[in-house]
Amino acid sequence: MRMIGTIVLVIITTLFCLNVDALPTIGDINSAPNQHITPTYIEHCQHDTGSPNIVTGVLADYRGFDTLGETSVMFVAGITTVLILRENRKKAEKGGAKK
Amino acid sequence: MTKRFGGIVLDISFRVLVPFTLVYGIYILTHGEFSPGGGFQAGALLAAGIVLSRLIQGRSAGFNISGEHAVIWAGVGTFIYALTGFLPLFFGGNFLDYSFLPFPAEELHELHAMGILLIEIGVTICVMMTIIDILDAVTERADIDD
Amino acid sequence: MQILIIEAALLLFLIFTTVCILCVKDILAAAIIYCAFSFCAVLLYFMMGSPDVAFTEAVIGVVSTIYFVVALKNMNRWCK
Repeated sequence: MRMIGTIVLVIITTLFCLNVDALPTIGDINSAPNQHITPTYIEHCQHDTGSPNIVTGVLADYRGFDTLGETSVMFVAGITTVLILRENRKKAEKGGAKK
Repeated sequence: MTKRFGGIVLDISFRVLVPFTLVYGIYILTHGEFSPGGGFQAGALLAAGIVLSRLIQGRSAGFNISGEHAVIWAGVGTFIYALTGFLPLFFGGNFLDYSFLPFPAEELHELHAMGILLIEIGVTICVMMTIIDILDAVTERADIDD
Repeated sequence: MQILIIEAALLLFLIFTTVCILCVKDILAAAIIYCAFSFCAVLLYFMMGSPDVAFTEAVIGVVSTIYFVVALKNMNRWCK
């Protein structure tokens, strides 16, 4: 079983390494993601949002609703952790009282 | 503040690193529009400063925030974000449309900058309090086990 | 050319640290090596020209290392 896993891993790694040439270089203007909506953001971000940092402008202004979802996910994660761990604490306190 | 906490390493690291980390976190928050940074990074930095002071001084640290208060403040941070989103709805705009915020400003992009600052304060409070909160829950459980 | 050499060295070190995390027996050592992995990723993000992501990765690497160490201390399982 371990042998089969190793062989599959080697095959997949080889396939990934063979496809590296097809990737666009970093910062290539002519690649597909850099031609769709990125030039619009780069041109209008300073004028629209008043923030010179384009990352902040996109995260907080153009995509503000997504960031609201992210913040809610953080909040829900914290509340879930606290609920699970505090539940254990209450059980431990009750068990200690019985003893 | 002339009392020593422990060894020389803990003393120096508390007096130098913790105030520097907190001030740097606030700088990252307010300067996030012009340089790399923003709400998430500022919240994590502030939480790292408070966690550091708690690790050094124990539960009676000066900058300490207890777990129950941290849960409430995380909710308050999310509420600030949502309130900034809902506020333009009452003044004729869409959800999260900062152009309709009821603040005095001469140009439109100043209003947008104000809205971005408000929601980043919300994100900062939420992230910071969530990190403190989870650490507090884990350590509290360990105290019960002992 | 020098940038490419540094980047290749960093990528190789990234793979090396990942294999080390998997192979090492001590859990605390695995947590600390994970911190080194995170720092390597920070340098790589900087070389790719995204300081925002690098900053986030640096801060979160520190906080997650604190989490790992505190959790290990509470588990009473330092090694083996």
